[in-house]
Amino acid sequence: MNRLVCTLVILMLSCFGSLALATEDKFHFDEPKKDALFLELTKELRCPKCQNQNIADSDAMIAVDLKRKVYELLQKGNDRQQVIDFMKQRYGDFVYYQPPVNPMTIWLWVLPILFIVVAVVGVVMTRKRQAPEISNEQLAKAQAILERDE
Amino acid sequence: MKKVALYLIPLGLFLGLIIFLYQGLFSNPREHKSSLLEKPMPEFVLPDLMDIQQTYTQDVFLGKVTLLNVWGVWCITCAIELPYLTQLQVEGKHIVGLYYDQDIDPDFGIKTVERVQQEVTDKLRQLGNPYAYNIFDVKRDLSLDLGVTGAPETYLIDQQGKIRLHHIGDINPRVWNKKFAPIYDTLVAQ
Repeated sequence: MNRLVCTLVILMLSCFGSLALATEDKFHFDEPKKDALFLELTKELRCPKCQNQNIADSDAMIAVDLKRKVYELLQKGNDRQQVIDFMKQRYGDFVYYQPPVNPMTIWLWVLPILFIVVAVVGVVMTRKRQAPEISNEQLAKAQAILERDE
Repeated sequence: MKKVALYLIPLGLFLGLIIFLYQGLFSNPREHKSSLLEKPMPEFVLPDLMDIQQTYTQDVFLGKVTLLNVWGVWCITCAIELPYLTQLQVEGKHIVGLYYDQDIDPDFGIKTVERVQQEVTDKLRQLGNPYAYNIFDVKRDLSLDLGVTGAPETYLIDQQGKIRLHHIGDINPRVWNKKFAPIYDTLVAQ
């Protein structure tokens, strides 16, 4: 009886296993390196129709088409940058999750740094202004009080 | 006086943020500039939807101002814009369809060409036929080269075969008058 249950469980598991394999098999490369690159690229390319999904995640027709195109391009021997350029040429910078550095997007990097610099300068300035408020005279007075207490 | 100025800084920053976020309410996230503007039509060789033997290339657009309308019978918004497109065609605009189907593809199941032709004929008989002819984008390669994100989308192509406008979504009187008419009229006047 126990053995029967065991076989059934194993059978079921192997069924699910082959199902999972079947979906992955649609885009299969001979080289494991390309497999990895394909997965990486489909995660970094953005679905033009569905705004906040990458094409690996999306089931929209356009995402399926883009996935197939990425597969085709990689099969033809294109490298990572060539695939990204191909997509950008057609769908603009929007299609790639990493924004390019240009006069408009430079603020994405500059603003946080600027904020930190301004904050540090602000802190230092206020510290400096407070520092001279304790004069030598006051210090001497405090010292005198301390000594008297002893 | 100095203290007042110090208090004004956060207020100013806050107002700036408010203005930035407020205009965000009116921006359309689906609208981003097409990267194909002012570029020639991509190269292609594709059949006519109704007569598979006949093929077209990018040269078919030379010599006249064309509206290239990307559509399919499965697309609901396309059905809504068909009557207005037909009206534009009656007014003398040259409209070409770029047809693509979801079902002719191993990923989506198989449908015969005859079946697609029948569906298209039925739909156009019902809602009006604005198209001079339909280019059949069998594997959706031209759509991909054009940066199509879905249907309907419309391209305005000039006499030199260059893309002058890319509109995502349906064409209605408001869109036509605001977006298409100014460019279309200057192109036709040339």
